[in-house]
Formats: sequence, C-alpha cells, structure tokens
Amino acid sequence: MRHFANWGILGLTLIFLIGPFVIIILAGASAGPNLAFPPEGLSLKWYAKVFTIESFRASFVLSMALAVFGTITALVLGIPAAYALNRYDLPGAETIRTIVAAPIIVPGIIVGLALLRYVVVPMNVTVTVALFMAHTALVLPYAVRVVSSSMHNLRADMEEAAVLLGCSRMQAFTKVVLPNIRGGVLAAFILGFVTSFNQVPVSLFLSGPGVRTLPIDMLAYMEITFDPSIAALSALLAFMSLAIVFVAERLLGFSRYV
Amino acid sequence: MFRNRREGLALALPAAIFSTLLFLVPVAILLSEAFRSDTGFSLQGYVDFFASPLNRSVFLRTLKLGVLVAGSAAIIGYAAAFCIVNLPGKARGTVFGMVVLPLMISPVARTYAWIVILGRTGIVNDAIVGLGLSASPIRLLFTETAVFLGLLQLFLPLMIISLVSAMENIPRDVIPAARVLGASWLNVFFKVILPLTKEGLVIGGTLVFTGALTAYITPAILGGSKVLMLETLLYQKVNVSNDFVSASVIAMILIAMSFAANLVLKRIATARS
Amino acid sequence: MSDTFVQLTDLTLTYGKNIAVPALNLSIREGELIALLGPSGCGKTTTMRAIAGLLAPASGSIHIDGRDVTRLAANKRGIGLVFQSYALFPHLNAFENVAFGLRLQKLPEAEIKSRTEQGMATVGLSGFEGRKPAEMSGGQQQRLALARSLVMRPKVLLLDEPLSNLDARLRLEMRTELQRVQKETGVTMVFVTHDQAEALALADRIVLMQQGKIEQLGTPAQLYAQPETAFAAEFMGFENIFKVAGDSVQNDHGSLPLGYRPDSAILAWRPDGVRVGQGPHQGRVTACSFAGGHREYVIDSALGPVKANADIALPEAQIGDSLSFDLPQATARPLRA
Ligand SMILES: Nc1ncnc2c1ncn2[C@@H]1O[C@H](COP(=O)(O)OP(=O)(O)OP(=O)(O)O)[C@@H](O)[C@H]1O
Ligand SMILES: [Mg+2]
Repeated sequence: MRHFANWGILGLTLIFLIGPFVIIILAGASAGPNLAFPPEGLSLKWYAKVFTIESFRASFVLSMALAVFGTITALVLGIPAAYALNRYDLPGAETIRTIVAAPIIVPGIIVGLALLRYVVVPMNVTVTVALFMAHTALVLPYAVRVVSSSMHNLRADMEEAAVLLGCSRMQAFTKVVLPNIRGGVLAAFILGFVTSFNQVPVSLFLSGPGVRTLPIDMLAYMEITFDPSIAALSALLAFMSLAIVFVAERLLGFSRYV
Repeated sequence: MFRNRREGLALALPAAIFSTLLFLVPVAILLSEAFRSDTGFSLQGYVDFFASPLNRSVFLRTLKLGVLVAGSAAIIGYAAAFCIVNLPGKARGTVFGMVVLPLMISPVARTYAWIVILGRTGIVNDAIVGLGLSASPIRLLFTETAVFLGLLQLFLPLMIISLVSAMENIPRDVIPAARVLGASWLNVFFKVILPLTKEGLVIGGTLVFTGALTAYITPAILGGSKVLMLETLLYQKVNVSNDFVSASVIAMILIAMSFAANLVLKRIATARS
Repeated sequence: MSDTFVQLTDLTLTYGKNIAVPALNLSIREGELIALLGPSGCGKTTTMRAIAGLLAPASGSIHIDGRDVTRLAANKRGIGLVFQSYALFPHLNAFENVAFGLRLQKLPEAEIKSRTEQGMATVGLSGFEGRKPAEMSGGQQQRLALARSLVMRPKVLLLDEPLSNLDARLRLEMRTELQRVQKETGVTMVFVTHDQAEALALADRIVLMQQGKIEQLGTPAQLYAQPETAFAAEFMGFENIFKVAGDSVQNDHGSLPLGYRPDSAILAWRPDGVRVGQGPHQGRVTACSFAGGHREYVIDSALGPVKANADIALPEAQIGDSLSFDLPQATARPLRA
C-alpha cells in the first residue's frame, strides 16, 4: 500500500516534470502545418526545417561560441581564484568570495541592462564582445564554486610533499593539484556551458541586429511564426543537453558536483 | 607556508576585478539611478513607481506568484523527496536523475511545451471541448495559472534536490522510532521531518522563490503583456518607454526581495526549533 | 660522530599572532637519530615544517651542513619529510608515488625503476606497485610515504610520527627497519613521536618539548634515569611526584613525613620505586591490576592516590584492604622546580 502511494506520487511528479518534453518531441514531429498535440500525423519535416533556417544556424554558432569561450575564460579566471581562496590566508578573502559569487544572486536581466548602459554604450563595445563578457561573468561564480569544492577535499600537504620532492610551486600545481581536480574542472565546464547556452535574461538587452543567442532567436521566431519548428528545435536542444549530461555522468559522475 | 599573500592576491584578483568592473560597478550605478535627481539624493523614483496602479499590481502579482510557486514546490517537494529517499538504491539514483535532468534543458524548450498543452488547440482545450464542458476553447494561455504552472515546472527540481539532500541526513531510525512511540504521520512530519530538514527547506525555498521572481522566459511566453511580472515589466520599461529610473527601481525590488526571502525563511526555520 | 649538521638558532615560529615555538636552539650531528618527544600541540610538527622550509621562521636561523638555509626554498634544501598525514598523491599508483621525485630529476628510466623498486622493497611493499594509495591500508600508506622520501636520498630525513598507524608487530619491524636504513645510509633523521618507549628505543638523543620549548635534551638513558623537571619525569613514567617541604613530601591532599631530609625541591618515584607491603605509611587500595610480572596498585594515602608496583611473589591485597608502603630515598629522583 505504502509502495503504491510512493510510486503514485513520484509518477505524478515525474509526469509533471518530464511529460512536457515528450509532448514537445511529438509536437515537433507533426506532419501538419500547425502546432498541435496530438500531432496531425507524424513526420520529421519540422526537425529537418530547423536546420535550414539561416538565423538559427547563426545564433546556434554564436551561442556555442559564447558557451565554450565564455566558460573557458571563466575557468581561466576562476581556477586561480579558487586555488588562492582555498590555499592562501588572504586579506579580504570573504569580500573576494562575495564579489565573485555576486552575479549568481543578481537577476540576469539586471546584469545585462547594467552592462549595456554603463559599459557597452559608453565604451562603444561591440555586441559580440559584450555578450562574451556577460556570459563569462555569469559562469564565473559556478566555475569558482565547483572548482573550489573539489579543491577543498584535496589536502594542502600534498603540494608541500611535491615541493619537498623537488617540484617548483608551478609544477606542484600542474603535477599534483590539477590532476586531482580534473573532475571538478570538467564538471564546472559542463555546468558553465549549459548555463551559458541556455541563458536568456543576461543576453536580452545585449543582442543586436543579426547578433542573437539561440534562445533569444527562438523567442523572436515564436512571436512571428506559430509552426512546429520551435517545438522541433526545443526537442533537439533537449536531446543535446541530455547527451552532454549523459556523457558527463558516465565519465565522472557529474551529479556529485551539481 | 612559503605561500605569501601577494602571490595569493595575484591569483585571486583577476577574477575579482573582472567581476567588479563588469558586474558590480555597472549594477551599482544602475541601482543608484533611481536615487539620483537634479537636486541630489531623492526617493522620487520609488514614489512615482508605486504611485502607478499597474506597477503596484505587477509587484503584488510577482510576490503572490513567487509565494505560491515556492509554497507549492515545498508541498510537492516534501512528498516527492520523501518517496525518493525511501526508494531502493538503484531506483533512487534513476528517479533522482530524472528530477535533475530538466534543469539542464533550455528554459525556452521547457516553457514552450506549455503552449502546446494550454494553447487554443492544445490538449487541455481539446479535452474540454471534447467532453462538452465548453462550446469553444477557453483561454488558458496568458493567465496567471499558465505562468504559475510554467514556473512550478521550471523550479520544482531545485526544491526536490534540496529536500532530498536534507532528508538523506536524517538518521535512519528516527522516523520508525517516532512511529513506535505512537506519533501519527502528521506528528512525525511536524515534529521530526520538518525540524530536521528545515535547512534544506530554506535553501530550496530561497532558490525557488528567487528563481520565480527573476525568471524572464516563462512570464514572457506564458504571460505575455497580459500577465506582467517584474522582470517582463522591467523589459517593457526599458524597451518600450526608455524609463531607466523605473528599471532601476524594479532591479532594487528584485534584489531586495531575494534577500528578504532568504532572511524570512531563515527566521522561520530558527523560530521553529 | 662529526660536528653539528643541523643547527637551529633562536628559531621563532608563529602562526599569525600565536607563537608556536619561541626561540628554539638545537644542534643535531651528522648521522644522528633524534626523537622529538612531547605532548600534542607542543610544536613538533611546526619545528619540522620550519626545518623543511614549509614554514618561514619569524626570526632566527637554520643552518644545514654549514650553510644558512633560512631563506632557501623548500625544494632546494634536499630534505625529506614524511608527513603525519602521509600526503600521498591520490592520482598516482604506489610506484609512481615513489618515483615522483626521481622523475623530476630526469634520471634515466632504468635507474628510476631500480631505485623505486628497491625503495618499495625496503619498506616491504614489493608487489603493491600498481595500487592507488586509496586501495592501501593506513600502515601501508605510511610505509609508502616513507619509501617516497627514502629514495630521494635526502641529507636530512624528517619523520612526523612515522610509526603511529602501524600495529604492534609492524611497528617493531619498522623500528628496526628505520634504524637499519639510518645506519646504512648514514642519513640524519629527526622523528616525531608521542610515545616515550619508541623514543627511548630508537633515538640517539631525545628532545623533550613542552609548549614550544625544549624541556630536556639528552640520551635515552639520561632522560630515563635522570629527568630534571617534573614534566620530564612525568613523561618518563615517574607517576608519583611530590613537593618537598622540610623532611616531608606534600601536595594538595596533604603531606607525609619521609624520615630523611632531601635537598631538592621536588621528588619523584616510579611505581616500581615505591616499596609495598612494608614501610611507615598506610593507605587503602583503590585499584589493583595484574600486569604479568607484578601487580599495579593505586593506594589512597594522605597524599591522595599513590601508584605502586608490587612483586608478584608478595601476597595479593584486595580493593579496600589497608596496605603499608614506603617512599625510599634510594629510588627517589630529585627534580628542580
Ligand atoms: N596552521 C596553524 N595555524 C595556527 N596554529 C597552528 C597551526 N598549526 C599548528 N598550530 C598551533 O601550533 C601549536 C603547535 O602545533 P604542532 O602541530 O606543531 O603540534 P605537534 O606537537 O605536532 O602536535 P601533535 O602531536 O598533535 O601533532 C599548537 O598550539 C597548534 O594549535
Ligand atoms: Mg604534529
């Protein structure tokens, strides 16, 4: 009886959480011209159409580039910061931690607007660069937090041992610290990538003519057209995320870091 | 050790400076905008903002939806988390994974599904018309209900994750022990489970409430201009009326509400014990 | 034995505002085996870390082999340190852990292999080459850490509680092993221990520390037989320590007349040194345990509990019995205040 109730509750919750994706996948596979569920016959034409829409191709490339390079930049800034916050007795460590974590606390739309108004416009920065900076700032807190927590479990005396065995400080970092936080770094990358790729509010104000991230482009497309291609594209993105998470989980038990 | 502070600062400062210049300073200027006037410090921006009935109703709606979403997420979250924790090891990992998964998927995709479900030709309306409950499709999209459902679906996983990890820390035999001592399930929940998981509730509650406040896509797609929330209102103020003072006020309200939510939840949690 | 090899001069070590070690002076000869003995928190690890170069001294200097190394980087000092926590590299297997330092020296592969294998054999870990540290027991990890330092052939080898995690049998084995390695290589060794028996068995000289200061320095025989302070005496197993007042001893509980007039401020007896079954004093037995060759009594007297060992041949006293005892002058150790 208890068992039954358990699965009942879980079943309903999972239907609520996952059901919409099933609907989207099927709606995208409609043979008819309108968004509908159940679909009016099945075909893959909308899935195929997504790839022919020029603006989606461009915005997909932009989103990809932002996610990859923004996250890498965030890691380049974040790994040394995480290391210093863990290993050094820094004056103002708490302040630095708060500053670096702050972009998580403040709503993305505000970050985007503030950047636009006080950095991009006055300094005449191009939209692409602005997006890149915004996405990096957005991912930085995750990079620092995830790398920090994987470094936290790593005893500092291992580096001391390495130095006593002849390493320079830098070698101790690359030969001992880095191999041991590899999982955390990879997890931070994936988390950062997904966050950046799916991000809307930060980019909302920073998109310019012809320069739009994919989610924003989708929002714009939705306002004009009401065909199943957005459903198909959404389904494709969902599959992409699933694939990334699945591979990450297989490789390093990703969920431990989230 | 041989680690000196200058070296440490050199490692930490690039990230801090980056965040300060590209984030802290611009946001601070934006927030200060509503306090500035020709004569110096002023609260006029706030007065004007709240003088508008539309703005007030959007503010209240945002608050209401935030509370409703967080409250519903807590109720569903407790039920779901309790079931998950009681699952055998392997099933538990799978179910937990299925709960986490949606978080990795684009919110645009997640929200778009509700258009298919709630639209004029969506399944719900098909069912309503098919069952003869209404002669023509009723409006479900662009209602508070739609926004509520969308937000709940978006943020429920955060609550479940927080509660599951809180419940995992409840010592194994506490609940059976309470049952043996004659506590009813309701008693067990309020006397045992709730006190022991309140930290998870605070974290989850803050995440969900803040998430609901600051979500843009869901109110934009499912609420449109009929059901504005603060985020969508902010976008309108900037893009339609170029009103940066109002934008600054809204920004301040959003940040203040997130902080307040965290404080209030913490207070409630400590008061209980 | 040759001259001073490691010289610590007025070495002051601090953590922020806390002074862990104030003005320490110590000379260690080449090839010597020194034990740092003392209670937890007395500054043993801190001193080691300073010698190794992991902790910059607030003041004072460190000389090794005639050279001032106070400001020399840790990786240039040629010192080995076996950490209290082992500090093994979790991502490398046992072989690579041991070979780590040799690889940094860019030695030929064959030499790396032979020295690593030899080092692992020395600590009895042959056959464990492929294991990750996480797959080894605490004792095996400790020995691996030892091997990792040994293969570097350091000038000075520092060991922070090298035997603490081993079972009794392995401990004895490793003690002998350490001594053998030390005699064979002639390396100067400093090892930390809490355990006086271990210090006595292994060391050429013992440095007894308390709160960052050297309480007493001497050979095991000196420390064992002639502790100079109450602290040293207590550490060396003198369990009955009393203040002298005229021709009596006294403490918070009361006093007992000795029948002789000692000329020191404090007197101490080992439980062995207290004579039981005869003597001028009376007490009630509050605890009695059998310890093989003797019985250990706790006698409640005018001085509070007195610990005494009685020969097994003497008739056994039960708890609650009255027992006479003596604090003889012959076995009393005079201590300074
Ligand atoms: N990193 C640190 N920061 C501040 N104080 C420290 C630090 N490490 C040690 N101390 C303090 O310095 C003193 C000496 O510590 P140390 O680690 O040298 O003791 P120890 O003799 O090795 O003790 P144990 O036998 O427990 O290992 C102690 O009072 C300790 O609290
Ligand atoms: Mg120590």
